[in-house]
Amino acid sequence: MPEPIIDFRGVTKRFGEHVVYERMSLSVLPGETLTIIGGSGGGKSVCLKMMIGLLVPDEGQVLFHGTSVPDMPEEGLRQVRRKVAYVFQGGALFDSMTVGENIGYALREHTDWSMARIEQRASECLTMVGLHEGVAEQMPASLSGGMKKRVALARSIAIEPEVILYDEPTTGLDPKNIKRIGDMILKLQRELDVTSVVVTHDMPTARKVSNRIAMLYQRAFPFVGTADEMWHSAAPEVRDFIHGRIRRAEQSAPAHPVDAAEDSRGA
Amino acid sequence: MNGIERFGALVLSGLEWLGGVARLVLRVLRVGPRRPFGFDDILHQTVELGVRSLPIAMLITLFIGMILTWQFGWGLEDFGATMALGNVVSVGLVPELVPSMLAITVGVKMAAGMTAELGSMKVTEQIDAIAALGADPYKKLVWPRVCASTLSLPLLIALGNLIAMLGGMLIAEWKFGVPAGYFYETYIDELEPLNYIASPVKGVTFGALVGAIGCYQGFNTKIGTEAVGAATTDTVAATAIIIIIADFYLNTLFF
Ligand SMILES: Nc1ncnc2c1ncn2[C@@H]1O[C@H](COP(=O)(O)OP(=O)(O)OP(=O)(O)O)[C@@H](O)[C@H]1O
Ligand SMILES: [Mg+2]
Repeated sequence: MPEPIIDFRGVTKRFGEHVVYERMSLSVLPGETLTIIGGSGGGKSVCLKMMIGLLVPDEGQVLFHGTSVPDMPEEGLRQVRRKVAYVFQGGALFDSMTVGENIGYALREHTDWSMARIEQRASECLTMVGLHEGVAEQMPASLSGGMKKRVALARSIAIEPEVILYDEPTTGLDPKNIKRIGDMILKLQRELDVTSVVVTHDMPTARKVSNRIAMLYQRAFPFVGTADEMWHSAAPEVRDFIHGRIRRAEQSAPAHPVDAAEDSRGA
Repeated sequence: MNGIERFGALVLSGLEWLGGVARLVLRVLRVGPRRPFGFDDILHQTVELGVRSLPIAMLITLFIGMILTWQFGWGLEDFGATMALGNVVSVGLVPELVPSMLAITVGVKMAAGMTAELGSMKVTEQIDAIAALGADPYKKLVWPRVCASTLSLPLLIALGNLIAMLGGMLIAEWKFGVPAGYFYETYIDELEPLNYIASPVKGVTFGALVGAIGCYQGFNTKIGTEAVGAATTDTVAATAIIIIIADFYLNTLFF
């Protein structure tokens, strides 16, 4: 097994009395796309934030290429964050800047590129996420939710990161854009060898993009494996999870529940 | 017992809060002066904070000058001493009332504005996003704001001193028949070097406190949009209290 890029070892994370993780371990391997699934409020966003030191564990280790992230000096952390891009769940676009300035932020911070070159790169990134170049001049407040999400994506890929952490990148998008984002994650992996961690509730996307799926359940990841392994797993917590999911799908969607989870063709 | 415990908890949380503000100040002093200095951001914030506060600062100081002159004139009239009006009013206004009143009005407004702005950035994860993109939120957000308030408050106070004196002059001449020229002479005459120093020193101190408290409160806003409102309200109270205490302390040093 190759050395993991990101490695959690026996991590415990609490907020006051509330224990989010307890002796949790998880590895992200180079070049893979790892999907994290789990119930709402379970700690998926907290997991991503610990990867780049936005939150620090109370116990255990978080390693990036073998170096402890919480113990890194400022400059080290800065370099990690240059290499690891984070797509925030709510977009987290800077209200006071135009879309173009938002996308160019990391480039202004980490490179000495000219303004023209940065603007050029910003419109490239907009095209990649399926937005018109003219959007660059707009303010984030004037965008729809789905557009904000895609601008946030564009901002994260602008500097060509090694690793991209996607926090629910497809939630709230229409099927066409869900497919586009899925395709983009695959393309970045294949062409630029980007490692990805994707938090999603969307099983079709999970099956489409991931090499492995990690299931968050009761403060740890009891199951990590391929989609097929997950589907055929006999472990009670995995079955619980899948059945919980199917029951929810039955209530909300008329389609046959297994179909909905099986393939993205229906979507 | 319960009452004492609760009082103890209150004191502890107050100390913790002060410690937090102090840590923010230390951190911003460490990252702020590094290259690039961020002059653009500082200038932008100074214009935002200072220039936008000009009209209200002028209005307030004009009235403070008029009110204080009226009050003192009314008191001095009984002794037939209205000619001393300039002497009395100047020592009340220049080192004390203009700086403290401006800090408590305009300064508190600045602090509340910072908390509201940074608090909503915090709630929408924009502050995390700055860090995630490899920049330092203290450098990008706190440093320009603290610089701007530390710079603009003493400047507003300097201007305020001028306007307050004009307000005093107006009332002295119109209400108490003290010639404006004479009022001016006695006004300036009464001021010692210490008064000239106290005013800007207070301005800089209050300005720095305004920036530090406003930003600290914004950065420590809890999750949720209603938390921004709560944090902003707390900022108003905290800034006013801290300014008054700092004012008292500076007075014990100066006079
Ligand atoms: N900064 C914080 N301070 C206090 N509690 C927090 C903080 N961040 C997260 N939590 C808590 O940790 C738990 C996990 O939060 P997290 O945002 O990771 O959930 P999630 O799995 O991403 O959920 P969702 O699918 O709804 O986004 C929640 O109970 C949340 O209230
Ligand atoms: Mg989340």
